This record gives sequence, C-alpha cells and structure tokens, in this order.
Amino acid sequence: MEPSALVRELFAWAHADAAGLMASVLALPVLVPLLGALFAFVMRRWAAAIGLVTLLALLATVLLLIPWLLGAGAQGLAVGGWGAPLGVDLYADGLSLAMLLMTAVVGLGISLYAHSYFRADPIREQAFWPLWLLLLTALNALFLSRDLFNLYVTLEILGLSAVALTALAGGAKALVGAMRYLLVSLLGSLAYLLGIALLYHAYATVDLALLAARIDAAPATWAALALMSAGLILKTALFPLHFWLPPAHASAAAPVSAALSALVIKGSYYLLVRIWLELVQVQSDGVATFLGLLGAGAVLWGSIQALVQTRLKLLIAYSTVAQIGYLFLAFPLAAGTGGLAWSGALYLALSHALAKAAMFLAAGNLLRFGGHDRIADLDRVVQRLPLSMAAFALAGVSIIGLPPSGGFIGKWLLLEAALSTGRWGWGIVIMLGGVLAATYVFKVVGFAFTQAEHPHQAQRVPATMEWVAFALAVAAVLLGFLVAQPLMLLEIGDPFAAHVGGMGP
Amino acid sequence: MDKTKRDLRTAGEEDLDARQERSVQGLTRLVVASLLAVVFVGLALVILALPTEAPGLADQVDAALVDTGVTHPVTAVLLDFRGYDTLLEMVVLLLALAGVWSLAEGSPRTDHRPGVMLDRLTRLYAPLMLMIAGYLLWVGSTAPGGAFQAGAVLGAAGVVLTLTGWRLPRRLAGWPLRLLLVSGVLVFIAAGLVGLGFDRVWLDYPPPWSGALILLIETVASVAIGVTLAALFLGGHPEQTP
Repeated sequence: MEPSALVRELFAWAHADAAGLMASVLALPVLVPLLGALFAFVMRRWAAAIGLVTLLALLATVLLLIPWLLGAGAQGLAVGGWGAPLGVDLYADGLSLAMLLMTAVVGLGISLYAHSYFRADPIREQAFWPLWLLLLTALNALFLSRDLFNLYVTLEILGLSAVALTALAGGAKALVGAMRYLLVSLLGSLAYLLGIALLYHAYATVDLALLAARIDAAPATWAALALMSAGLILKTALFPLHFWLPPAHASAAAPVSAALSALVIKGSYYLLVRIWLELVQVQSDGVATFLGLLGAGAVLWGSIQALVQTRLKLLIAYSTVAQIGYLFLAFPLAAGTGGLAWSGALYLALSHALAKAAMFLAAGNLLRFGGHDRIADLDRVVQRLPLSMAAFALAGVSIIGLPPSGGFIGKWLLLEAALSTGRWGWGIVIMLGGVLAATYVFKVVGFAFTQAEHPHQAQRVPATMEWVAFALAVAAVLLGFLVAQPLMLLEIGDPFAAHVGGMGP
Repeated sequence: MDKTKRDLRTAGEEDLDARQERSVQGLTRLVVASLLAVVFVGLALVILALPTEAPGLADQVDAALVDTGVTHPVTAVLLDFRGYDTLLEMVVLLLALAGVWSLAEGSPRTDHRPGVMLDRLTRLYAPLMLMIAGYLLWVGSTAPGGAFQAGAVLGAAGVVLTLTGWRLPRRLAGWPLRLLLVSGVLVFIAAGLVGLGFDRVWLDYPPPWSGALILLIETVASVAIGVTLAALFLGGHPEQTP
C-alpha cells in the first residue's frame, strides 16, 4: 500500500471511532510546543533536551497534517465545542499549513543551533528554552486561529516572548533594543485591540468568517480596520515604521536574531493578509496602492541602508526591512491577478524565512569566530570558515532572487503579476531591489576574501552551528527546484479566492 | 585669530547648533502632537457615531448557560465558551514571569526583622486574605469572582508576606515552586482532554462533569496565578538569589 493511502486509511479509521479526538489534532501544533515549554520551565536542567524533542514532535505533527489536509481540504476545529460566535474557532487551510511548516522547519534548525550556541552558558540556556518554545506556541496558535480576540492573545505571547529573548543577549545595546521593541509591540497590540472592540460593538462577533458575512462599509469599520492594520504594520516593521527593527534584530543573540527576522515578523504579516483577504479586499484599491507604495519604499530604503552598514548583523537586519517591502507589493498586485501575487508573496515569505535564518546564523558563526562583526575586518574568513561563508552566500542567492532559489520563484511570480497586467512601475521596484540586494551581498562576500589590517585571534565554532546555517541556506535554494509542491500546499482551501463576503460596494 | 576668539566662535556655533536642534525637536513634537490630535478627533467622531445599543452576545450567552455547569455568565465565558483564550492568558502571565526571571537575579535574602506594626498586621491579614481568596474562588460559579480575582488576592497576600522578609524555604524554591507555577496551565490542558474520551473535542467538557472540571481548573489556576503574581513582585529567580 502507498504511504499516502495508508495515512488516509488511518485517518478514516480514526474518524469513524473518535471524531472529537481526530478534530482536536488541529490543536496539536499549539499544544506540543506549549507542553514542551512547561516541561522545559520546570525541569531546567533538561531544558535543551526537552526543547529538541519538542521540535521533532512538532515537525512530525505538522508533517502529519499535510496528507490530511491535502486529502480532506481545509479543516476547522471549534475549541470547547461551542463554535463561533460564542466559542473560538481554529481553521487550517493551505496558507496556515505553509506557515506552520515554515515555523517547524526553521524552528528545528534554530533549535539545533541554539543547543550548541548556549552550551557554555547554562543559565542563559535554561532561560532560552521556555521562552523560545512559547514563541513557537504563539506563532502556531496565530497561524491556526480564526478569532480576532484569540489572535490578540497570540500576538501578546509572541511579542512578550520575542522581547524577552532579545533582552537575553544582555548588554546595553540589547536591553535598549528590547525595551524599544516592547513599547512598539505594546502600542501595536493596543491599536489592534481597539480595532477589535469597535468591530465587536458593531457586529457582535470577533470570528473572522462571521465578520466577513456581516461587515459593511460603515465609518466604524474603516476606523477599526485602520487601527488594526496600523498596529500590525508597526509589528511587521513596514517602512517607515521599521525604526525599531534593526537595533532589536541586530543586538539579539544569533539564534534569536534568526527567529525574529525569519519567523516573528511573518506572524503579524500573515494576520494582516488574513484580515485583508477576509474583510477588506473588495473596493479598496487606494489602500492597496498605499500599502504597495510603503512596500516599494521599504525595498529601496532598506536596501540602501543595508548597503551603507559597516556591521554585518545590521546589514542583515536592514535587508529584512527591504524583504518585508516585497511582501507588501502583493496588496496592489493581487487586483486582477487572483492568487498569483499572493502565492508570490507567500513563496517569498517562506524562502526569506529559510534564507534570513541561515544568514543570521552564519553571521553568528562569524561573530563567534572573529569576536566582531565589522564587515571590513572579515579577514579571509572564506578560507577559515568556508561552510558558514557558503551558507551566507547561498542564502544571499535566494535573497537577491537569483535562479534557482526560492527567492527567485517568489519574485518571478510577483513580477509576472505585475507585467501581465501592464503595471511596469512595480516590476521596476522588484528588479531594482534585486540589484541592490546583489550589491550588499557581494560587498560582504568581497571582504570575506581579503586580509584585514589587524588579524584577530580566532575562536572555535562548533560544527553543528556551521552545518545548520548551511542546511537552511541549501533549503532556501532547494525551494527554487520544488515549485509545484509548495504551491499545491498553498492552494488547499483556496485561501486567496475572492470572497463573496467582505465589504460590498 | 587668537585662541580666545576661536573658542568664542566655536562656543557660539555650538550654541547655534543646540538651538537649531531644539527647534527641530520642538517641530517634531508639534507634528506628532497634531497627528495624535487628528487621530483622537477622528476616533472620537467614529465612537460618537456608533449606535449606543450594541447587539452583543449577552442573549446567546444566557441561552447557553444551562449547558456550562456554572450559573455566572462571566465565569462561563472565561472558563467554558472561551476557555482557550483564558488558557493562553494564563500562559501570558507565566511568560511574563519567565521573562523577568531571564533578566534579573532575585533580591537577596536578609535577616532584617519587620517592625512590630508590620509583623502584627501581617499575622492578622495573611489568614484573612487566604479566606477571602477562597471565598472569591467558590462564589465565582454563581456570582462575580473566580480564579483571577482569587489569584490576585492570593498574590497580594504573597506580597505582604514578602514585605515582612518571609522567603520560600530554599528546598521548595526550585522545581516544586516551578511546578506550582505551571500547574494552572497544565491542569487546564489536562481537564480539556477529558472530553476526548466522550467523543468531544479538546476543552469541550462532558455535561455531567462540566461544573466539577471548571471548579478544579479554577482552584488550581487561582493558586498558580497567586504564586506567579507574588513571584513577579519578588523579581528574579528565587533559586539564583545571592
């Protein structure tokens, strides 16, 4: 029997006997890391082992969801058995599943890295694991929830754990960066919460699907959507609200930087896309163009800022600012191209997660190796730390969008959406961002070959840390070869279809 | 140009720079303030335009109350209808403590004796607070009250005890304390699993057990919440105190 058929049989059997149990499987991506976090918190000494086992279990859970959803389509779970509007509904379609998979894969990589990274510092290691597992809990809960208030709670857990992890690096820079991050995160959450209060007052529900059916274009609706979008944009660090990102992402410990840039900002972006697809979409060309323009600003400004940085981690952080911009180009491009632009943006989000995690982890290796991250003093690191430098360069290939890589496919889809509808302006921004990215990536690679004026005492870098960065970078490139499967995954439940609901004319 | 003149000139330039910087700062503040004013007026207009009678969910909550095993709507919403939210809220509280512990060392133990006043009052208040917490917890199923309120009073009792210099014995400050802290969330998750045996989904309590399960969750949760709040007051990890 084929493996997929076996899985189907298994599900069918389980479905007949324990429907409640089966449906509850949808809550596992939340429960697994949550239980892991609780155990890691209580049994501090075993925290790292518990963390790694949790990540393996999480990956297995998400992999198990894939055949189920591929066969049975999008799935919902009314937690507590009540269902909206009284209860909280979970919902998983292709979009959620792709984000869950991204989180599990990148999360496993970061966990393996962190295991080596924190080995010499048990106090920090014991603090890291519960916070990190709670961050994963929050992300998975966010990707699965369909309830705006529940999503607010997940945003709170996500923000708090991200801030605590940022501060974990210690030192004035990290603490200042973390403090600013905390204030920004709270401001964003409160704006979002105010929006929910307005929507609940007007429509008596916080369930996305019910809201989509009830919502109309009243002033309160627009005010609510504006507040929620502003809060989420602030959390996603879209230009010009990106000011908090570089200090926070650059000053954190390497595995934390990777998690923040690769995963955390995708949480608020995902939520923004969901709200947009379910509630706005129709009759909002002006808003879409506005978001697109901010995105274009981010691509150009972020890339130029990356180019002038002298510190490697700051360069990578500004590169994140630029890459976030691409994700927002989908808002204007989605009009008239259906799912094409959204698929492109999401493909870009997935490959950026892999590539940016690889870049920050590679930078962490260079930092540990040389004791600094001054780009000009990289000092022939290409010969002395070839695997990490290869990881950086390969991740760079995907960030630039060179074929074959995940970044290339994402940009190609976006470009196709722009050109097929004759919108050249957006196309030029996409191309220009790629050229600028190439410039800042090659700037780093160039200095990796030259000898520095003052050679440094080199520290040993554990092999795991090198191989994890390399593996994630290779995965980002491989995403350019396997195009059909991720796109098929994204299409489960047709998340990008124009909804009948939303705000009519 | 002699030295004094040069110094004077530089000082003058610096003065000018500082003044310019101040005026730029003032301008930024003005722009931010006017933007905020616009947002405020806009929101105020929107809120004034809202209908005063909100549809709400109160009627639906009342109608479904009989199936929850409790008779107070707020407790039903918190522990049953939207129990998943409450579970995650308890995680937020735990996370706050984990975050604080990751940053700070605990305040050092002292041999400092509290004054007569504080000592006597604490002896009087602490048992009273325990009793009030118990009452709030019990009354929660029929009237305003419940785990968070009881937990807040317990937390306050912990703060009062901490102020008198009382500290958890060292052998309890390690994993037993941490187990107590996570017990609220753990029991909540576990109680949600009971329904799975009755062909229900996670956190769907089977009707005959519903009231008892909610009481169990609330009891453990109020202790966990109280201990978490008191530990937050104390600051750093008690095991790592110098």
